[in-house]
Amino acid sequence: MNALAATAPRTAPSSRVRSWPDRLRGPLIAVGVFLICLGLVRWLSGGTLGYYEIGTLAAGGATLAIAASGQTIVVLTGGFDLSAAAVISLVNVSLAGQMQDSPGSIALWVVLGIGIGAATGAFNGLFIAGLRLQPIVVTLATMFILQGVTLLVMDKPGGEIPSGFAQALTGDAVPGLLPMPVLLLALLIALWVALKNTLFGKALPALGSDREAARAAGLSVRLHEFFAYVLAGGLYGLAGVFISAQTGSGDPLVGNPMLLQMFAAVVLGGTVLGGGRGGIVGTIFGAYVLMLVVNILLVLNVPAFYSSVVEGLILVLAVLASSLARDSVLLRTLRQVVARSAARSAGRLPRQLDLPPARVALPMTDPTVERPVWWRRHAEALRNGLPAYLCFVAVLVVTQFVLGNTILSWPYYDSLVVLGCFLAILALGQGAVILTGGLDLSLPWTIGLCGILCAGLLSGSDAALAYAVPAVLAVGALIGLVNGLGIVALGLSPIVMTLAMNGILQGAALVYSGGTPSGFASPALRWLMTAKVFGVTPIVPFVALFAAGAAILLGRTVFGRRVYAIGNGERPAELSGVPVKATLVKVYMLSGLCAAVVGILLSGFSGQASLGMGDDYLLPSIAVVVVGGALITGGRGSYLGMLGGVLLLTALQTLLAGTTLPYATRAILYGVVVLGAVVALRERSH
Amino acid sequence: MKKKHLIAAAAALALSATAGVATAQTQAKHKIFLSMSFIGNDWQGEAANMIKAMAASKTMADKVDLQVQVAGPNAQRQIQQINAMVQAGAKAIIVFPISPTALNSAVKNACEKGVTVIAYDGEITEPCAYNVAIDQEEAGRVTAEWLVKKLNGKGNIVAITGVPGTSVDTLRTKAAKEVFAKHPDIKIVNEAVGMWSQAVARTELSKILATRKWDQIDGLWMQVGCYTANTMQIEAGIAEDKLKPCAGEGANGGRVQMLPTGTEVEGANGTYKPMAAPRISYASPPYSGALALKLAVAKLEGKEVAKKTVLPLPVVTNETIKLCQEGSWAEMKAGCNAFKPSIVTNPGWFASIFSNETPEIGLNAALVGQPEN
Repeated sequence: MNALAATAPRTAPSSRVRSWPDRLRGPLIAVGVFLICLGLVRWLSGGTLGYYEIGTLAAGGATLAIAASGQTIVVLTGGFDLSAAAVISLVNVSLAGQMQDSPGSIALWVVLGIGIGAATGAFNGLFIAGLRLQPIVVTLATMFILQGVTLLVMDKPGGEIPSGFAQALTGDAVPGLLPMPVLLLALLIALWVALKNTLFGKALPALGSDREAARAAGLSVRLHEFFAYVLAGGLYGLAGVFISAQTGSGDPLVGNPMLLQMFAAVVLGGTVLGGGRGGIVGTIFGAYVLMLVVNILLVLNVPAFYSSVVEGLILVLAVLASSLARDSVLLRTLRQVVARSAARSAGRLPRQLDLPPARVALPMTDPTVERPVWWRRHAEALRNGLPAYLCFVAVLVVTQFVLGNTILSWPYYDSLVVLGCFLAILALGQGAVILTGGLDLSLPWTIGLCGILCAGLLSGSDAALAYAVPAVLAVGALIGLVNGLGIVALGLSPIVMTLAMNGILQGAALVYSGGTPSGFASPALRWLMTAKVFGVTPIVPFVALFAAGAAILLGRTVFGRRVYAIGNGERPAELSGVPVKATLVKVYMLSGLCAAVVGILLSGFSGQASLGMGDDYLLPSIAVVVVGGALITGGRGSYLGMLGGVLLLTALQTLLAGTTLPYATRAILYGVVVLGAVVALRERSH
Repeated sequence: MKKKHLIAAAAALALSATAGVATAQTQAKHKIFLSMSFIGNDWQGEAANMIKAMAASKTMADKVDLQVQVAGPNAQRQIQQINAMVQAGAKAIIVFPISPTALNSAVKNACEKGVTVIAYDGEITEPCAYNVAIDQEEAGRVTAEWLVKKLNGKGNIVAITGVPGTSVDTLRTKAAKEVFAKHPDIKIVNEAVGMWSQAVARTELSKILATRKWDQIDGLWMQVGCYTANTMQIEAGIAEDKLKPCAGEGANGGRVQMLPTGTEVEGANGTYKPMAAPRISYASPPYSGALALKLAVAKLEGKEVAKKTVLPLPVVTNETIKLCQEGSWAEMKAGCNAFKPSIVTNPGWFASIFSNETPEIGLNAALVGQPEN
C-alpha cells in the first residue's frame, strides 16, 4: 500500500489529479441526485425538513441501502446475486419467531441473523468460486431454496420483535441530533473506506475488471470471490435484521420485491454492472433516491397509472446524468451523427465516393481438408446442451414412477409442449440478448401490453386477426427498437434500459386498459392453443417449426454469427467488421418480437388478457437460457441447448404440480434441481 | 328514494348516538389518502374505482379530498408512502395493506400524529388501525363444506390456492383443509399455487392434467379459477351437464356460467355463457375500500367506528344466482348478482360488488368510477 502511494505521484502526477474526481463521480452524482430530490420534495410540499422527517426517511431507506451495499460488492466482482432479497425474508421470519426481549437474546439473534446471511453467501460462494458456476443461476437456485425455507419457518405474517430492540435500531443515536440508521450507515461507509485500503478491498474491483490480470498479478481469485459473497451475504443478513426492527414483526414475503430495486440502487450509485468500478457510498444514496421517488410521486400527485412510468424515467435520467459528464456514448453518438450528416452533404461518405474495390483476397486453403466427424464438430454444443436433456430424461423417469401416465403417453408430451411453448419462444429472444452479453428485463410488460393489445383489438373476432397480429408484432418490435437504441445510442446498460422500459410499458398497459383489460381472444386463436386435432394441440407443430427456425437463425446465419461475435468481445467484433450497433438493435427487436408472440399466444391460451400476465416469465426465461448451457456473459450457448432447458424446467414443474407436496418443499426441490443441472454443466476442462 | 338512501347510510355506519349536529359540511374537506398495493389485477382496479366513486358521490364529494397512490407489491415502499402521507397532512389514510404486520410501526406512528388509518380487504394487526374485511377462515370453511356436501362426502379433489406466504391464503386453505380432513373419503389429489389469477390457474391445471385425466377428478376447490376450470372442461369435450362441482371465486365469468342453460344473456361468447355450472361463488368483496372511506369520514366527523368491521361473506350458489339487467345498487339490493357479458366484457372481473351499506355505488362505480347519484 505504502509503496503504491509513494510511487504513484512520481510516475504519473497528472493522471492522479485527473483520476480522483473520476473515481468519485459515481458517488458524487448519486449524492447530487439525492440532494436534488430532497430539495424537490421540500420545495413542492412546502413542508418542513426537520430532524423528524430526516429520521423517518433514514429509517425507511436503510434496509434497501444496506442490502444494495451487499449487492454492490458482488457486482463489483463481476457477479450477480439474485438470492439477496430472499435472505432478507428468511432472516426476518427467523428473528420474528425467536428473539426475546433480553439483551442476551437480542445480541444472539442479531449475530445469528447476520450469520444466516453469511452462510447463504458461503453457499453461493462455494458453488460460484469453488465450482466456477455462473453466479446468476446459482443465486437463482439459492433464491428458490431460501423462499421455500422461509415459508417452512413461517407460513404467514406474524411474530413479534421486541420493541426495545426496534427502538434502539430505528430511533435516535443522539436524541434530536443523530438518528440511529444514519449512524449505522455512516459506520458502514467508514468500514467500506477502511476495507478499500486492504488487499481484499482492492481485489474486489480487480476481479470484476479483469479476472485473468488479477490472477496474473498474484491474487487468489477464488478465495477473494468466495469472501465477496460471504461479506455480501452478511450485509443482506444485516438488512434482514434491520427490516425486523423497522417493521417489528415477520412476513415471509417482505424482502422479495426488493430485488430489482436493489439493482436500480446499485446502478444509480454509479457502480457498473459487470464489475470493476463503483462502491457502496453511491449505492447508499442511490437507495435513498429510490425511496424519495415515493415522496415525489406523492407531492406531485402523479396519477396511479403513471407512477411506474415516472420511476422508469427517473432511473434513465439519473443514469444518463452520471454519464453525460464524461466522454459519454450519448455525446459520441451525437458527434458521429453530426459528422456523418456533414460528410453526406459534402458527398464524402465512402459509398458516395466512387472508390475502386479494395478487398484483400486471401489464397484459398486446401479444399481437401477432411471434415471431422459430426459429434467432434459439435463437441462444444453437445457438452453444453446435453446435460439439460439428460436431466430432462431423468425427470421423465421420475415422473413416470411418481405419477404414471408419462413416458408412453402422448397427452403428457402434448401438454409439455403447449406449456413450454411460451418459454421456448422467449428463449430465442432472451437467449440472443444474453448471447450478446445483455439481459432483457422488459419482457414481463412487453408480454402484458402485447397480450392486452391483442385481446383488445380482437374482441373475439377472427377477421380482426388480420390486422391485430401484425399490429401487436409491430408494437413488440418497436419496444425492442427503443430498447436497442437506448443501449446503443445512449450507452445505457441493458439492465437499466430494459428495467426502465418495463416500468414505462406497465404504465402504458394500465392507461390503455384503464385498469381492467377488456376484450378476449378470437375463436381461431383459442383453437390454436386449446383445441385437440387427433389428440394434438394445433400449436404443437408450429412450435417444432419455430424451434427449427430459431436453431438455424442463431446457428447458421450471418446474423447468428454476429451475435456470438459480439458476445465474445464487442471491440474485436467491431474491428472485424461486424456492424455491432445495428446487430444489437436487431437482437433487442427480436426479443421484443418474441415477447409479442408470447403475449398473443398467452391471450389465446387463457382466452383473455390480464395485467401482469407476463410477470411469471422473466426469471424462467433467464433460467432456461442458462440451464441450457449458455454463458450469461455472452458468446456461448445454442438454441437447442436452451430448448433442453425449457423441456427440463417445464417437465420439472409438471412433476411438482402433480404431487401434493407443500409449496415450500416444491420451491426447495426446484432450486436443488436447477443447481444440480448446472453442476452437471460445469466445465471440466479448466 | 333519497330518504331511503339516507336511512341506509345512517344504519350502515352503526354509529353511537352522539347525534351532534354534523359540522363537516361547513368545514374544509378532509384530506384523505389511499395507498393501494399493485394495480396489476382486476380486483385492485375495481376496488380503486369504487373508492373514487364513493369519494365523488353526493354524500361525500364536499367532505373528501382524495389522493390515490400506488405502492406496488413492496411493503418497504408502502411504509415510506404512509410516512409521506402523514407528512403531507393526511387526516385519514385508507390502505390496502401489502403485509398485515410490516406496516405496524408506520401505522402506529401515523396514529400518534392523529391520523386515522383504515385497512381494507387485508388486515393490519397494529391495534390502533381499523380493519374492514371478510372472515377468511369462514370463506375457506363455507366453500369446503359446500364441496363436501355436493360430492356426498366422497371423491378426489384438486385444490388451487392463492399467494403462498400471505395470511389470507394461509387462513382460507387451512380452514378448508380442516373441513376436508373430517371426511376421510375426500382426497386432495393435487394442490397447486394459483396466485389468485385465472391465467395462473390455467397453467397450473394444465400441468396437473398432463398426468391426470378429468375423469379422475370429482371436484375442485379453488381460490380463483373456477371459470377457467369450467372452460377447460368444455374444451376437453365434457358436456355442460357433466361439469365438476367447483368452489371458488366471484368472477363474473363464473357467475354467468352458473345461470341455468338457455338463459338469454347479451354478449355471451365462447364459454362466457350460461351453462348451469355447479358452483359456489364467494369473494373478498371489492367494495370494502369504499366502505373504509365511508367509515374514515364518519370517524373524522367524530362518530364512533368499530375497530374491526367483519363484512358478511358474499356467497352465491346455483339456487341464488340471478342476472342483473343494469346493475344499479337498487337492482342488486333486490337480489341480482351476475352481470351481462355485454356490459362486463372481462370474465375475470369480480362481481361481488353489492353491499347494503354502500348505496352510493353500483356497477358503474366498479367499472368506471362513477357513483350512483
